[in-house]
Amino acid sequence: MELLFIITTFVISTFIILLIKHRGTIEFFSIFASAIAFFGSIIIALKVSSSGIYSPFAFFSVDSLGAIIMLIIGLIEFATTIYSIQYLRQETAKNIIGFTRVKQYFILLNLFLLAMFLAITSSSPIFAWISIELTTLSTAFLISFYNKPSAMEAAWKYLIINSVGLLLGFFGTLLYFTSVSLWSKGELISWQLLLTNATHLDPLIAKIAFIFILIGYGTKIGLAPMHTWKPDAYSKAPAPIGALLSGTLFPVAFAIMLKFKILTDATVGASFSQHLLIAFGILSIAIASLIIFNAKNYKRLLAYSSIENAGIVALGFGFGGLGVFAAILHMIYHSCVKAILFFSSGNLLLKYNSAKICNIKGALNIISTTSIFFISGFLIITGTPPFGIFLTKMQILSVGIQTHPIITIIAIFFMTIVFIGFLKHITAMFFGESSTDIKVGEGNIWLIFPPAIFLIIIICLSFYIPPFLYTLINDAALHY
Amino acid sequence: MSISFLQFLLGVIFLTVVFLHLTKKNLLATIAYGIQSFAIMLILLNSFLETKIFYLLIIVLLVLIIKVILAPLFFVNFIKKHSLSFSVSTYFNTPLTLIIIAILTFIAYSQKFTPLTNIIPANQPLLSIALSFIFLSLFLIINCKGALSQILGILSLENSIVAFIVFAGLEQSPSLQIGVIFNIFIWIIIATTFMSMLYKHFESQDVTSMKNLKD
Repeated sequence: MELLFIITTFVISTFIILLIKHRGTIEFFSIFASAIAFFGSIIIALKVSSSGIYSPFAFFSVDSLGAIIMLIIGLIEFATTIYSIQYLRQETAKNIIGFTRVKQYFILLNLFLLAMFLAITSSSPIFAWISIELTTLSTAFLISFYNKPSAMEAAWKYLIINSVGLLLGFFGTLLYFTSVSLWSKGELISWQLLLTNATHLDPLIAKIAFIFILIGYGTKIGLAPMHTWKPDAYSKAPAPIGALLSGTLFPVAFAIMLKFKILTDATVGASFSQHLLIAFGILSIAIASLIIFNAKNYKRLLAYSSIENAGIVALGFGFGGLGVFAAILHMIYHSCVKAILFFSSGNLLLKYNSAKICNIKGALNIISTTSIFFISGFLIITGTPPFGIFLTKMQILSVGIQTHPIITIIAIFFMTIVFIGFLKHITAMFFGESSTDIKVGEGNIWLIFPPAIFLIIIICLSFYIPPFLYTLINDAALHY
Repeated sequence: MSISFLQFLLGVIFLTVVFLHLTKKNLLATIAYGIQSFAIMLILLNSFLETKIFYLLIIVLLVLIIKVILAPLFFVNFIKKHSLSFSVSTYFNTPLTLIIIAILTFIAYSQKFTPLTNIIPANQPLLSIALSFIFLSLFLIINCKGALSQILGILSLENSIVAFIVFAGLEQSPSLQIGVIFNIFIWIIIATTFMSMLYKHFESQDVTSMKNLKD
């Protein structure tokens, strides 16, 4: 029931926004829909934690990992909507955008959120794929939001790469359908039906299918070498959308890929998919770390950090055992910290009107609260103790050192490069002499509040995981 | 329809994708895509006549309306409106392109992909052509510098996957039918909208002219 309520609210609010011409009302309905989704996600997560799989209708099914991802989406989308309202007001005040753009933004935002909720809750792999395709549709227009040549170029690149990737994902999906007997092909094929029939799947088909899935959904996740759209899209999309792309779309695509991993594991054993995840994981960490060092744009810097963290999560699932638990926890921390970093980057952009690192000097003196958030985000994302990511990285690496020592040492080496590279940019941006022609002070309290909330959440989660969340993570780790 | 006619249709499809690689004229590329979609429609129609599944008839009609009529018409109008007679060059020259096409076709027929082409043993030759069609469409997207050619490459990849679905006997799954219908709709909408927007900004369909995204 809650799920239906979330979906209906998004659909209705999208139609209302489409029809009305009053900015305040548009903002109200956006906040309302996102609040409903947020509270609905909490209720569903609590239900899954206490009574297992949540499936109000045959069309929907939410397991432990799905509930965790729903919780992440709910939290980040609510904060993003709050942040977006003030962010877009500031941009309107600067004559960057007008009312039509604002309206377009909230329609696309609602569609994007709806598609993500549908993708993670769908009981059918095809509907999950359709929903992921819908995210491409809505986000392509959000990336080209500012209607500049560079934004158009980023959106085109995103569209072409993701469409090819998802078509390959579709091809991979249909190969799994070969396990289902002819009589059941007439019904809607669910994840559960595929799992039941996994033993009937030809092992070689399962291997080829998983490679296509990994390339397809790996493109959406942003795993190297399919990551090339990510820096462009993250840097050209409005800052709040960056938070959603990095914090929510990545876990959603990852969770769907993991569902196929289970099917493959049931057919050919776990080692095949684990080796592939390790290979893609280490490649992502290596490529991201080498580019981070020479990054010239702080939004692109965050994109490369997302590629690195996608690699770390892939390594966790690839190493298996305790690594899976740590990878899921890492995914939660990563989503929260990316919200802090993208919201802060939005504040920096509003203040300096530039996303270039060389144009930001002594930001700590100019925009101190935002700077503290960004620096905290840097410390958290690079795995500095005592924050949770330090523990998840340690846990993943400690599992890896036992099973794949060389890979783990390479990963540690590149993670160190990421830290040094990030530190170099942080020092350049936030410390030293600040420009005198920029007015000192933060923009608005509502631009500070969302990242502050996430900082508090991460600090709390670093020391205490609520029992219901612990149960969900544990259950998901056992299942995946 | 007899198996030899289906083989002929797949042969036509294969030739259209090779032609898309070689042609330097946008109009001819669009016509080739139209013929390819028409052949796909006939394959789907054959499947409908054999299975009598109503959803397949809907897909046949959608392919006819959207892929055979509307999409080529849009592209032809776009080409005429912006005087884009000649397509943008490819990354590889013609001889190298032909060599890669030959290699990809050989790979599709190789032992490595036997599990895929043997899903229905009776359809092995058809599935092998369909698989090579997928590979060549992928190569078309990678090799082309033109936005229009890239879109035709993606639409061709869609067609190739549909052909594979039919010969693998998976077209009876309602889930896949919905997936195919969705794909037909969405991609045409996105592609046509973005192509117009792109041309408005760059006044060119050469994707190599897009150089605004450097750090």
